[in-house]
Amino acid sequence: MSTPAGFDELIHPATRLSVVALLATTEWAEFAFIRDSLSLSDSALSKQLHTLEEAGYLEIRKEGGGRKRRTTVRLTDRGRTAFDGHVAALRAIVEGAAAGHGRRQQAEAAR
Amino acid sequence: MSTSVDAERAWQDLQRIRVPQERVYDEVERSASGEPGATYATAASMWIFLAGLGLEPPTWGVWVAVVVYAVLLVGLVAFLNRGNRVRLHHSRYDWRTSVTFLGGMVVTGGTVLLSGRLAESLTGEPMAVGLIQATVTSGVFVLCVGPANRWAVGSLRAGR
Repeated sequence: MSTPAGFDELIHPATRLSVVALLATTEWAEFAFIRDSLSLSDSALSKQLHTLEEAGYLEIRKEGGGRKRRTTVRLTDRGRTAFDGHVAALRAIVEGAAAGHGRRQQAEAAR
Repeated sequence: MSTSVDAERAWQDLQRIRVPQERVYDEVERSASGEPGATYATAASMWIFLAGLGLEPPTWGVWVAVVVYAVLLVGLVAFLNRGNRVRLHHSRYDWRTSVTFLGGMVVTGGTVLLSGRLAESLTGEPMAVGLIQATVTSGVFVLCVGPANRWAVGSLRAGR
């Protein structure tokens, strides 16, 4: 089966998809909020964020210092476009399968 | 390398997207319904500003009060934003947010004018008028801001 245009291999893995889906709803989110929302460890989330950052899909900012230091993450325009395209591709796959299923049922009924 | 995805996996992925997004809306709703300290701090600033205007200061005094009040509000907003864990993307807000903002200005301005007229008819003392205006307006703000915020964010989740 071929994948429709817009399908993004980088976003496809489940954890990255969840991270990007969360960030797509936000202007920015705190590292701790993403970690807690997705029940990930610090190291697992850091790894995924750096992969996405290297691809230019998000920006990581560190603010403050000492105990008040916090890390915020923001999806870039490129990341937002990639996510929208990926969601459109997933919808196309589901709708394509539903249309195919409908055609098969019509053909069987006609026989 | 190209990944082949069947319809069932694509459907599961579309469902998976919803879960973290629900967490964001949970957080936004929690922020909107909480923070009584912010409400009282804003009401206190409003009370001081309106009571100060009731003293009938000269024009330069009015401008100083307006600038101090604006700086206080901006500082308060900046302080509160530092406590937020997430900010909803601007595309996710709907018409209720604008209506709440404009409605808040109309209600506050209307309360200032009406309470001022009412107070003037009861007492001609400018200082008393200012105190009544400040107290009534701050009270209306404290009563309305919580339900208004909850109403504003109440439809965001359903309106995606």
